[in-house]
This record gives sequence, C-alpha cells and structure tokens, in this order.
Amino acid sequence: MKNTFTQSMAWLHTWAGLIFGWLLFAIFVTGTLAVFDKELDHWMQPEVPATEVSQADAARRAVAYLQAHEPQAGNWGISLPTERSPGLRVSTGDRRHGGGVQLDPRTGEAIEVRDSVGGNFFFRFHFTLDLPRNWGIFVVGALALVMLAALVTGIVIHKKIFKEFFTFRPNKGQRSWLDFHNASAVLLLPFHLMITYTGLVIFMLIYIPAGVDALFEGDSRAYFNAQGNARLEQPRQLARQPGQLVDVAPLLAQAEARLGPLGGLNIRNPNTAGARIEIRPELGNRIALAKGQAMVFDGVSGELLSDVPQWRAAPLTQRVMVGLHFAQFGGYPMRWLYFICGLVSCVMIASGLVLFCVKRGRKYGNGTAQASARRWYRVAEVCNVGFISGLLLACVALLWASRVLPVELAQRESWEVRTFFGVWVLALLHAGVRPARRAWVEQLLLVAVLCIGLGALGGVGDAMRVGVVLSALVMGVLLGLVAWRVGKAVPAPIRAKAGRNVEAGA
Amino acid sequence: MIQAPAWLQILSRSAAALFGGYALSYAASACLARLLPLSAADAVIVATLPAFVFYTGAILWAFASRDAVRAWAPLALAAPLALLGFWPQALGWLA
Amino acid sequence: MMMWVTGGVLFAYVGMLGLCQGLERHYKQVWQRPCPRALRVGLRGAGWLALLVSLLLCAQAWGWAIGPVAWLGAMSLSGMLLVMLLPYWPRLAVGLAAVVPVWGMVQLFG
Repeated sequence: MKNTFTQSMAWLHTWAGLIFGWLLFAIFVTGTLAVFDKELDHWMQPEVPATEVSQADAARRAVAYLQAHEPQAGNWGISLPTERSPGLRVSTGDRRHGGGVQLDPRTGEAIEVRDSVGGNFFFRFHFTLDLPRNWGIFVVGALALVMLAALVTGIVIHKKIFKEFFTFRPNKGQRSWLDFHNASAVLLLPFHLMITYTGLVIFMLIYIPAGVDALFEGDSRAYFNAQGNARLEQPRQLARQPGQLVDVAPLLAQAEARLGPLGGLNIRNPNTAGARIEIRPELGNRIALAKGQAMVFDGVSGELLSDVPQWRAAPLTQRVMVGLHFAQFGGYPMRWLYFICGLVSCVMIASGLVLFCVKRGRKYGNGTAQASARRWYRVAEVCNVGFISGLLLACVALLWASRVLPVELAQRESWEVRTFFGVWVLALLHAGVRPARRAWVEQLLLVAVLCIGLGALGGVGDAMRVGVVLSALVMGVLLGLVAWRVGKAVPAPIRAKAGRNVEAGA
Repeated sequence: MIQAPAWLQILSRSAAALFGGYALSYAASACLARLLPLSAADAVIVATLPAFVFYTGAILWAFASRDAVRAWAPLALAAPLALLGFWPQALGWLA
Repeated sequence: MMMWVTGGVLFAYVGMLGLCQGLERHYKQVWQRPCPRALRVGLRGAGWLALLVSLLLCAQAWGWAIGPVAWLGAMSLSGMLLVMLLPYWPRLAVGLAAVVPVWGMVQLFG
C-alpha cells in the first residue's frame, strides 16, 4: 500500500479502525452491558419479587403449578431462582427463549410481569446487531476479525510500547488522545486479544467449517455424534402410558452435590411412564462453559440415566475459550473485572475514533481545505458523535422505555427495540445538524442525566436493583464530567480564530 | 508498468484480504484437520482454533505486500493446502 | 473471599507502581529528582515481587484455574488506574501503596 511495512500497517489501522470502529464500539458497549444482563433483566421487570426461597421449594411449587395448568404438555421447562435471577419461570413446549409464565416462588401463583426485552437485548445485539441471527453472527464475526487485525497492526505501528508503557500526558490535544489510546490498548492488551479471539471461537465451526467438511463430508450431525453429544434416546413407547412423577427435591439435591449451583430443569413427557427429568447447572461453576450440559433422571423411579460427560482435552480447550468470553465464572468480583475491562475497551475504541478527527481537524475542519475533503471530514465527525454518544443514548433510552412504556401496550417488546433504534437515528440526525462539539456536549449531557435519573423511576425493591441504579448513577456522573470537560475545551478554536483576526488586522 | 488508480488498488487488496484470507484459513484448517494425529472429532477442533490467526495474517499480508498482485498470494497458497485437506474427496472426484 | 480479592487487586496495583517508579521519567514525574540506580533496581524488584504476591492472592481467592485470569485483569486495570492518576495526582498515585499495611492489619487481626 505505502512505502514501508509500518506505513501500510498504519494505513490499515487508521482506515479499518475508522470505518469498522463505529460498529465495533456498539458491539463492545452492548457486550459490556451484557455482563450484567440478568441484573438488567431484573431491573427492567420490577414485578418480579426478590425472595429467598430454596430451589427445592420453588421447584415443587413450579411442578404443582404445571400439574394444575398444563398436565398434558409434552415438556415442562422450569427456570429456578438463582443468585442473579431471583425469578421462577415455567414454560411448556420447546420454546426455550421468552414465553412462559412467571411465578411467585413463595406461593407458586402466577404473577403479571410486563413484557420486556430485558438485558437480554444487549446480549443478542452484541452478537447479531439485531440482524436475522445467521446474518448477524457473520457480520459480527467479520467485525471481530477486523478488530483482531486492528489490534495486531496497532502493536506493529506502536513503536514505543515499553518506553511509553505508563505514559499519559493530558491537556495536550492530539498528543493526549494518542497517549490514552495507546495506554488503554497496551495495558489491556491481554483482555482485548482474549475477548476478540474467544469471541470468534464461539461460532468458529459456523464461520470455518473446513474440518467438518474435510473429515465428516460436511455432515455436522455426524460430527456432533463423534463428539459424544448424542442425545439420550426418547422412550416413545413408555411416553404413552400414564405414570406418577417422582418428587424432584431429592434429585435436585443429588444434582447440586454433583454440579454445584443449579440453573433449572426440564421435565420431558411429564405424567407418563417415560418421564425424564433433566437438571442443568448454573453456568459459571468453572471457566469452561457448561451450556447444554445436564444430568438426566428417570421421572418415575428417580434413577440417574446419564451424567454430565467428562470433556476430552480438545473440546475442553474450546469450552474454556468460550467460557472466557461468556464470563460466567468467578462470581461478582470477576463480573466486575470483566465489566470494567469492557468499559476500558469501549473507551479505547472511542478514543481511536476521536483521534482520527482530532488529527485531521486542523487540516480539514476549517475553510481552507478542499470542499470534498471537508465534506468527508464532516461525515466522520457526525458518525463519531452519532455512533458513540448516540449509541450510549440509545442504550439508556432502552432502559427508560422498559419502565416508561405503558405496561399493557401490545407488542411491548418490539416498541422497546424501536425506541432503541429510533433514539439512535435521532442522535445521528442531531449530530448532523449541530456543530460537532455542541452535539457531543448535548448528547453526553443527556445520557448523563438519563443515567442519573434511572433511580427516579422507582421500583427499587432489592439489593440487585439498587446496584443497577447506583452503577447507572456512577456512569452518569462520569459521563457528565466528560461532557463538562468537552464543553470546557471550547476556547481552543476561538483562540485560533482570534489569532487569525489579529493577523488580518495587522 | 501502468499504476492502477488508488481506489482500485484498495478494492483489490480488500477483496484479497476478505476472500484470499477466508480461502487460506479454510484450506489451512482442512489441511491441519487431516494431518493432525488425533481422533477426527478432536482434530476438527484443534485445527479450527488457530484458523483466525491465519486469517489475520492474510489480511495483514494483503495490505503489506509490495504490489497488488502479490496481495493475492494467500489465495494461491490455499490451493495446495486444500488439496491436502481434501485428498480423499479429490481422489473420489478423479475416479 | 473478598479479602483475597481486595489483596490481589491491591498488590497488582503496588506491583505496577513499583515497575513504573523504577523508570527514570516516572520517578522524576513524582519526586522532581533523578532516581538513584540502586533504588531503581529495588523498586523494580519490589514491583515484580508484588505482582507475584498478587498472583498468589488471586489463586487463593479463585483457585488456580480462574485465579490467573483474574490476575491478568487486575494487573491491567490497576495499570490503567495508575496511568490515569499519575499526571493529575502523582503523590496520591504513590500514596495508595499505604493501603497495603492497612490491608495487612485487617488480614491479621480482622
């Protein structure tokens, strides 16, 4: 591209970073928020009570409710109350996501809970950008690859990694932005590389099914069977004869002793002789992601039919990498480490985007540059505002929508999502009609006010919801400080203009 | 030699990065999966885990190489690797 | 567990501080005078030692499987905090090391 290796890498870093950085910022922000998805879920549905009921009691009540209301269903799903998600939810059929009825774990009665996309929206947006699922994961995968390339080129072009390891020189314009971008990238490099690469590993066989194509003739079912993931065969004959369901509590105790804290259970073919009870662990008893693992019991005799498998080294490696990305292990201290690391990643990307404009502002930001160059510069500027502060605005708007939209609104969830994207588009438009610095200050201030104001929406019944409100408060104050700092920095261009006037007058 | 316009060069190199990179990482994974002395199920995983390292390398190569033709080298490299990875299938097609 | 976690993060910070102060320019940034060579070596050694202690504490808190992950995160974040504190409040950045004895007291007698 350019003359030397470093120059061409710098070119790639700059332009790939700019063009894909806007969406990468959105992916990193929503991913960071998704660290606390369950907590946000809980805050966005204030009807769910925070209770301390043992899982065994909750499970018994859920089974009693399902016996009374859905005795004929082919499958009962029960999400047990856990530390992070105190609700008790039951569902029927094979709908894994959404649907179902929320129960009060204390009484086993159904409770009315507003429809809300919950924190799960951030999780879904993080890996699909809210596109159709298969499209989304490919787009996000491609973006992750660009991130990886940007990280490697960034290392290549950063000449003084160790010399400027601890260097940050504030109040020096472009110098400060570069220092910050470098410091946040270098100090958190293990995190950046880990989170990007493990993100790609999650869907690696969807992205690059080469191995399956070569060794299994592209037959993914054969591949899964070879992994030993074959499902236990369903007893079709027995499932037609009636049967008496065993008490689940002792099975839960047995499973908990083996698996650690539990997440929920499925009862297939309940009330038949072929009933099967699958009990799954809460994710995060270890690094390796335990998604899809369960202990299976006979629903009539209570006999253990299949235990969780021991992973061989290769699948374990993959599971550990995926688990490192999902960050379900290590409890709340680890969650906070991931959250703050994620925040620094977001700020690192944002500072890179801002740096692009700061670097070129003197050249293209005023009347002397070519009209077309000036127009492109303006596009970059508007996108920066709209994709950075605009996205933050959209995220906090979604939280507000979950509380403010009327509870009885039809298709409430899609209205929440529309709020998210509507606010984002409005922010882009706003950035387009306002001078850049004003747009930054106004949008950041609005985000700050909305974050601080989350507490005013009430419904703060328990420690977890208080935690959400307090964290939002801290974020709001920090963003307010940023807005104030950006606004205060206004004198610089005015001084430049004054200088020109003096020259003109002289 | 006639210098292609800048936008065409950029387009060509971007395409080389995207498609050449994909071809290389696909072929390299297939080849690794075939050659690794592991059970098939394990070989697939171990061979696919480093795929994105190859892809990143190809992207950097596409933009670092001296001229726009060399940028497509990963694609050329992919062919023999794919042949190694898929040789039973290739023999099947020939027969 | 919280004591181990706090200790892990604290020692990670002190470790980064030691490595940082072992560099000529950052020592000068805080104390406005050059750093004697012996002190520089001592600071660096202490820094590495503190990072090692941090690893042990993280492993104590999370176990040897998860501990190293937390250790890397703690080092990165405390490094980031240090970098942001240094130019604005250099003495505070160094003064935070005084929390270590407090932590030690609480650990011993708490």
